[in-house]
Amino acid sequence: MEEIIEKLKVQLIDQLNLEDFKPSDIDADEALFDSRLGLDSIDALEIIVLLEREYGIKVLNQEDGQKIFKSVRSIAEHISANKEV
Amino acid sequence: MNIYINVLGNVSPQVTTDNADFLTEPVNKQDTSFACIDPDYKSILQKANLRRMSRLIKFGMYSAQQCLIDSKVENLDAIITGTGLGCLKDTEKFLIDIYGNDEGVLSPTKFMQSTHNTLSGQIALMLNCEQYNFTYVHRGASFESALLDGIMLIEEEANNILVGGLDELTDTYLAVTKRMKMWRRDAISQLDLFSNKQSGSIAGEGASFFMLSKEQSSTSYAKIKGLKILFKPKSIETIYGEMQALIQDAGLEMGAIDVVVLGMNGDQEQDKLYDELIERYFQDKQLTAFKHLCGEYKTASAFGLWTAAQMLGKQNIPEVLKLNKSASPILKNVLVYNCYNNSNHSLLLLQDVNA
Repeated sequence: MEEIIEKLKVQLIDQLNLEDFKPSDIDADEALFDSRLGLDSIDALEIIVLLEREYGIKVLNQEDGQKIFKSVRSIAEHISANKEV
Repeated sequence: MNIYINVLGNVSPQVTTDNADFLTEPVNKQDTSFACIDPDYKSILQKANLRRMSRLIKFGMYSAQQCLIDSKVENLDAIITGTGLGCLKDTEKFLIDIYGNDEGVLSPTKFMQSTHNTLSGQIALMLNCEQYNFTYVHRGASFESALLDGIMLIEEEANNILVGGLDELTDTYLAVTKRMKMWRRDAISQLDLFSNKQSGSIAGEGASFFMLSKEQSSTSYAKIKGLKILFKPKSIETIYGEMQALIQDAGLEMGAIDVVVLGMNGDQEQDKLYDELIERYFQDKQLTAFKHLCGEYKTASAFGLWTAAQMLGKQNIPEVLKLNKSASPILKNVLVYNCYNNSNHSLLLLQDVNA
C-alpha cells in the first residue's frame, strides 16, 4: 500500500501541476478537496483520467468518486482493490 | 472622437513590465529566437490559477492584469484580443494527447487551454466580466483587427476596453517554420539584426495590452487618430497613398509626422520594402524600429504600438529604437507602419494627448 501511495503522490503532482508541492509535503490522509491543496472539479476529472490511463480503473458513479477521492490513501486503497492484473 | 491609450501592459523579450522604465537597459541576447523574459507571475496572479496556465496564458494574463491594476478600472466594457496562433503549446499537447491515447481518455485541462480564446475567457473569469468578449485570429492582422474592433466600439458607446495582442514560441512551431526558411540559421545578437541583414528574420513572442478609453486620464500615453489594415497592397505608391489618406483623415499632413515606427525584421528580402519607403519618402524623418527587440511574430505590431505610445507618453525616443540620428523634436504625431510576411500591412497614427 505504501508503495502505491508514494507513486500516486508523484503522479498527482505531475498530472495536476502542483508545482509548489513535493511528495513529502502531502499527507496520505489529508483531504484533497476544499483543503490547502486547492483542488477543484477540474482536478477531479484529471484524477479520473489518471486512474483510467495508469491503472485501467473507471470511476463512473459520482457518489463513488466522492468517497474514492477523499485522500491519497483512499485512492490508493481503491487502486489496490480494483487494479487490472 | 478621441480614443486614448490610458494604460499599457507588456511582457516581451525585453524588460518591459515596469511602465516607468522605457528600454533604458535593452537586453542584447545572442540566440536563434527571442523568448519573453518571465516576470514574477506570482506577484500579481493568483498562485492557485497559475498551475494550470501555459506560458502564453501566464504572460498574457500578467500583461492584462498589469493594465487592470494600473488603470484601476473594475468594469470593462469589452475584452478583445488578437493572436496569430493562439495557445499553441497547449494545442500541441492536446493533439499529442489524442494521438498518444488513441483518441481515448483525454486530459480536460489541455483541451480547455488549447483554444484561441482561452486568454480572453480567463481575463473575463478573473473579473467576472460578462461583457463583449472577442478574439481575432487573422494571421498577421490579428492584433490590428482586435484594435479596430475596440476603436469602433468606443466610437459607438463603449468606454474602458482592454485590447491586446499575444503569441508564443514553441519548439514545434520553430522547427516547422525553420524548414520554411523564415528564420536565420545561426544565432545573432539582437541589436545587430539590422546591421547584418541576411535571409530570414528572428522569431519572437510577447503579449502587449492596452486600456483604451474615450476619456483622458492622468496616465494617458497617446491618442489613436487612425488605423488602416491592408492586404497585399499593389505597390509602394499604394502604401504611401494609404499613409497620406490616413494622415489627411486626421486633419494632418505628412510634414506633421515627427516619428515613423517601422516593423522591419532583418530579412533582406522583406526589408527591401521598408528600405525603399525610407529612400523615397522618409529621408527627413526620425525613424525607429522595434523587431530587433521583440523578434518577428504575427502580433509583433502590438509591441510596435507599445513603443510608439511610450515615446509619446514620455516624450523620449530611446537610442536603441533609432534607425537614424535626426534631431529629436517635440513628439506630437507618430506613424506606425508594420508588414508581416509581405501580406498583412497596417498603418496606425498616434498623437500626443495634449496636441
